[in-house]
Amino acid sequence: MTTNLVDRYVFTALRRVPEQQRSDIDRELRASIEDAVEARLEAGESREAAIERTLLELGDPDRLADSYAGRPNYLIGPELYPVWRRLTLMLLTTVLPIVVIVVAVVQILSGDVTVGDVIGSAIGTIINVGAQMVFWSTLGIWIIERTGAGKDDLNRPWTPKDLPKYERGAPSRIQLAANLVWPATLVLLLVLQQFAFTEVPLLDPANWSFWWPVLIVLVVLKGLLAYWVYRAGTWTRPIAVVNAVHGLAVAAVLLYLLGSDNFFNPAFTGFNDVPVDLTGWISVATMICVALSIAYDIGDVTRKTVQAGKGLPAKIPGSGNTYA
Amino acid sequence: MTTDATLASHLQELRRGTVVVASLTVLRAPGYGYSLLETLSEAGFEVEANTLYPLLRRLEAQGLLTSSWNTDEARPRKFYTTTEQGNAIADALRTEWARLDDAITDLSTTPVKE
Repeated sequence: MTTNLVDRYVFTALRRVPEQQRSDIDRELRASIEDAVEARLEAGESREAAIERTLLELGDPDRLADSYAGRPNYLIGPELYPVWRRLTLMLLTTVLPIVVIVVAVVQILSGDVTVGDVIGSAIGTIINVGAQMVFWSTLGIWIIERTGAGKDDLNRPWTPKDLPKYERGAPSRIQLAANLVWPATLVLLLVLQQFAFTEVPLLDPANWSFWWPVLIVLVVLKGLLAYWVYRAGTWTRPIAVVNAVHGLAVAAVLLYLLGSDNFFNPAFTGFNDVPVDLTGWISVATMICVALSIAYDIGDVTRKTVQAGKGLPAKIPGSGNTYA
Repeated sequence: MTTDATLASHLQELRRGTVVVASLTVLRAPGYGYSLLETLSEAGFEVEANTLYPLLRRLEAQGLLTSSWNTDEARPRKFYTTTEQGNAIADALRTEWARLDDAITDLSTTPVKE
């Protein structure tokens, strides 16, 4: 019964040790255990207790086996963890939204879908594709971790050149992306509301003959403006002027359409038979929102331009410091 | 984390690596796993069997120890001996240990600057 315990311990440990090392470790481990047991017997312990205490001291046989085999006790080590984190974050924050949008567009174009279908499949895509992305990036980095192949390429040493530039007021690539995604989304929504979301379009279909295309052109121009700022690397006076003119144009179109009750579709009766009075307070509220947000945008760009022109140091949020 | 736990983690950090120097030094005369464990714990090194035994095999794989089975006695035992290379490395490690000891002593005996 008691020797049985040692056998079971040694066997459990050996199972997880490479085969060519087993016989050697088997002999050595048994001899070491017997030495320790003997020492405890001499100290006056019973044989059973001595064996139990000895094995207890050696601890979990699986961990001992890992130690013998030189196996690491982690999935991804500190060296590759930043690479894994960057890759996974990039997949989840950049690639996943693109996949979700593509899936939604394909679904809508294939016709005969409700808003619920699109939202449902978007959630499904986020969960499924997201889980796949995390799994494959982890597996990939784990393989690199274990084999060491390509480790140096992935984890090249950091140099000061890698620091972001932080030029005053200069939009980063992420800001550019955001500034391009918004116009694209707006155009997409404008087109989709005509065909997809509701049985009757929310916005007046009569405007397709002129005003909606004008609005689409203006929205595209806003995207181009964002790219101009990105290329220029800073806010300049011409950009501010063009931005202000553009903002006023957008405001003029929207306010004209809203004010003359030509913005919303008169045939639109409401969501799910809940009647809404689109020409009443909703139009007024929309007009106020449009005016405020465009005024804010013009003011914001002007402030940034003035700041860039003066070369004022920008504040670092949270630290109270500035970088010049 | 309590003060005790903090101290324990720093001590563990500080002791890491001392077992290698001690083992290579003791094994200039051949010894087997359990005997080394006894010698080290008598000498005041807190080392666990499940750390030491795999460590000996790793040092052997690195060429710092050699081993041979002694079957003369009733219980066959694997004896390890420090190699020439192992001795050289142990020397370098001991020198570094002494240098660190001197440096720490210097720092702690220098009067604190105002």
